[in-house]
Amino acid sequence: MEAQLHDSLVTLFESKLSTQMLLNLETCSRCGICTPACHAYASMPLAKYAPAYRAEVVRRIYKRYFTKQGRFMPVLGEAKDITDAALVELKEAAYSCTGCRRCMVYCPFGIDTQQIMSIAKLLLIGAQAEPETLSMLADMSVSKGENIDALKEGFLSGIKRLEDQVVEKWRSQGEHPIPTDVVGADVLYVALAGAHSIIPAAAVFNAAGEKWSLSFFEAVNFGAFVGDPTKTRLILDRIVNEAKRLKVKEVCICECGTAVRVAKQLKDAPFAVVGLTEMHARYLRQGRIKLRKLPGSYTYHDPCQIARNGGVYDEPRYILRHLVEDFREMSPDPKYNWCCGGGGGLVAMGEETLEFRMQSAKVKAEQMRGSKAEVVVTACENCHTQLSDLNRHYALGQRVVFLSSLVADALIP
Amino acid sequence: MATLYYLILAPMVYLAVAVSVLGTLWRIARLLRAPAAPPPPPIYPSRKPSWLFALGDALLLPSVFKHNAPLWAALGLFHLGLAALFLGHLELVADFKALQLIPHSIFLGKGLIGLTVLVCLMYFLCRRMVSPTKELSVPEDYLLLVLLLFTVLFGAQMDWARTWFGYSSMGVDEYRGYLSSLIRLKPSVEGVTSAGHSFMLVAHVFFANLLIMAFPFTKLMHAIFTFAMNKFRRG
Amino acid sequence: MSTIAYAKELDLRNLPCPMPVVKISKGIKEVAVGEVVKAITTDPGALTDFPAWAKTSGHQILETETTGTEVNFYIKRLK
Ligand code: HEM
Ligand code: SF4
Ligand code: SF4
Repeated sequence: MEAQLHDSLVTLFESKLSTQMLLNLETCSRCGICTPACHAYASMPLAKYAPAYRAEVVRRIYKRYFTKQGRFMPVLGEAKDITDAALVELKEAAYSCTGCRRCMVYCPFGIDTQQIMSIAKLLLIGAQAEPETLSMLADMSVSKGENIDALKEGFLSGIKRLEDQVVEKWRSQGEHPIPTDVVGADVLYVALAGAHSIIPAAAVFNAAGEKWSLSFFEAVNFGAFVGDPTKTRLILDRIVNEAKRLKVKEVCICECGTAVRVAKQLKDAPFAVVGLTEMHARYLRQGRIKLRKLPGSYTYHDPCQIARNGGVYDEPRYILRHLVEDFREMSPDPKYNWCCGGGGGLVAMGEETLEFRMQSAKVKAEQMRGSKAEVVVTACENCHTQLSDLNRHYALGQRVVFLSSLVADALIP
Repeated sequence: MATLYYLILAPMVYLAVAVSVLGTLWRIARLLRAPAAPPPPPIYPSRKPSWLFALGDALLLPSVFKHNAPLWAALGLFHLGLAALFLGHLELVADFKALQLIPHSIFLGKGLIGLTVLVCLMYFLCRRMVSPTKELSVPEDYLLLVLLLFTVLFGAQMDWARTWFGYSSMGVDEYRGYLSSLIRLKPSVEGVTSAGHSFMLVAHVFFANLLIMAFPFTKLMHAIFTFAMNKFRRG
Repeated sequence: MSTIAYAKELDLRNLPCPMPVVKISKGIKEVAVGEVVKAITTDPGALTDFPAWAKTSGHQILETETTGTEVNFYIKRLK
């Protein structure tokens, strides 16, 4: 590795060393209690998939450059230089971690392996060794923000084509089944590119008589997946600016775990941030929508970023109580629900990661099968894709559906 | 030999304490000086008041109990043992009325505390020699355990020698003379260097010195950092 | 119907996020520079995603054609 690149990577590393990050790096006692917590390790018991082992890949470099012990007695902690070989290890560690933070529940200190992996991701970006697909997607998102005026028209024509399908689900409409650019709307709804994240949500908003507006942007933050703080901010700012321009009271994020987590971390915004599931639970509580019961047996997969890392446990269960007679918990304690195995950008990388995703989530597939439910409900695009892939790969014979689409299908006047 | 004994029993003790205190302060200062970044979310569901639950997590290790009960038991015995050893050593400095509320002979615990801690240490060591904890371990982990093992072994031997086998040439009075002289900054080692088993004391103090010095530069800092970490997790 | 000749056709209908963009960015590498890929999409978001992607990755959208609920993009590989 060239000296210049090496030095710039050390500087990048240093930029991540906040108080909390230092604590994450310096507290681990390598007790290994977190080892069985990781779905990747539980499915494939190789040391490299143990959370503390992944963290140690980063920690070794940390020791070498930033601790007295690593500088004077590197053998004690196996401190390591940043080299090309180290980059390969960093990539393997970071991109086999979905950022679910299940290990953080196990650790006696609460060490956040995902945070430590964010250093690895940043170093990979610095060395231009990050997964190309993710940076391509992040660049696309940023560019969309810069060129939105030129792109608006195309988007509006695409939205127009969906209106009939919205009306099919919920007839009593105002003028626009999918309103956009409504200054003074109460809610800005931020969806994804796909029609499946717009149509059911639109039907429910309309049924609840919400004064809403659809965002021009997609909610998902590819900058967060690839671990680029600058792009994460730029991508989020597109939505913040739109929300400010329209003077909305609330920004409602579609069923996308990453998007919900990133948006909820906003500080001092002049609007509140809620997830679509919370919104639907609220409509039900307030009697603004009514649902009929659906036949069949159901279980719910808690998306890590929405439940363990977002605190939304009760709302989906409240909705499901209104929707179905036969509900079965997937994990006895939802805090310990296994990650689907698709987070952290793994699903977004598509076929590239398919084999690893299927193998590393064997425990998830077993958990799905063990629920003995016909339908697996979830509230995150990534989870939905990954669970559907698992369903196919392990021939589980279940149906994987979005919670929002069940709600839309069950609407009654 | 006498010079070596003296160096270990007096100057090295002062050095170890100085390195340890300054090193610990330096590491804490470094943490506090680091920039604040927006904190990641806590783990949900949250319980209030979060500081109280965080304190409970730090002191009772409920997650270890849940996921590895034998380790939890060993950790409990070990850390309680450390606390008891700390109190025991206080009584080797002087008489503390408060510590004798429950009357006991000195040293605390009739030699069983050292034994317990030794057994726990052997367990920790063995555990680190088999997968999957083996792959996680680095030399530091073994070295600390071995250092502790030696420290406790020589310490316990002195205690066993006195309480179980009746060695009387060096006892509580001699220890008190030595330790209190250290604290008064007028070290006097005569009383503790002439007994037949003095070499045990010297070895005990030597390894303890290394351990005390290692504290700020190793994972032993978890004893302090755990409180901040657990608070972050609880939000 | 467009009259543009294309070397490859990609069916990107009803895919989850962000597969349409991921697949087109892989697919375009499977034709020679100067050749055209036709992508059939159903996502309304594709109408902003594809132009933004073409801009950042340096390819050219020759034509965007709407048929019922589908949108076809004709994209020329430039590099
Ligand atoms: C509130 C304070 C403390 C907490 C919560 C705590 C917690 C823990 C935990 C969770 C472990 C398990 C790690 C393992 O098995 O390796 C551990 C191990 C250990 N702790 Fe502590 N500790 C505390 C204070 C201390 C103190 C004051 C010392 C004194 C030197 C100490 C020394 C050790 C040692 C030597 C181990 C064994 C490491 C090993 O297994 O390799 N701890 N502690
Ligand atoms: S965050 Fe999840 S995927 Fe990453 S190491 Fe921890 S348990 Fe494994
Ligand atoms: S449980 Fe925590 S302290 Fe123990 S090895 Fe894992 S990250 Fe380190």
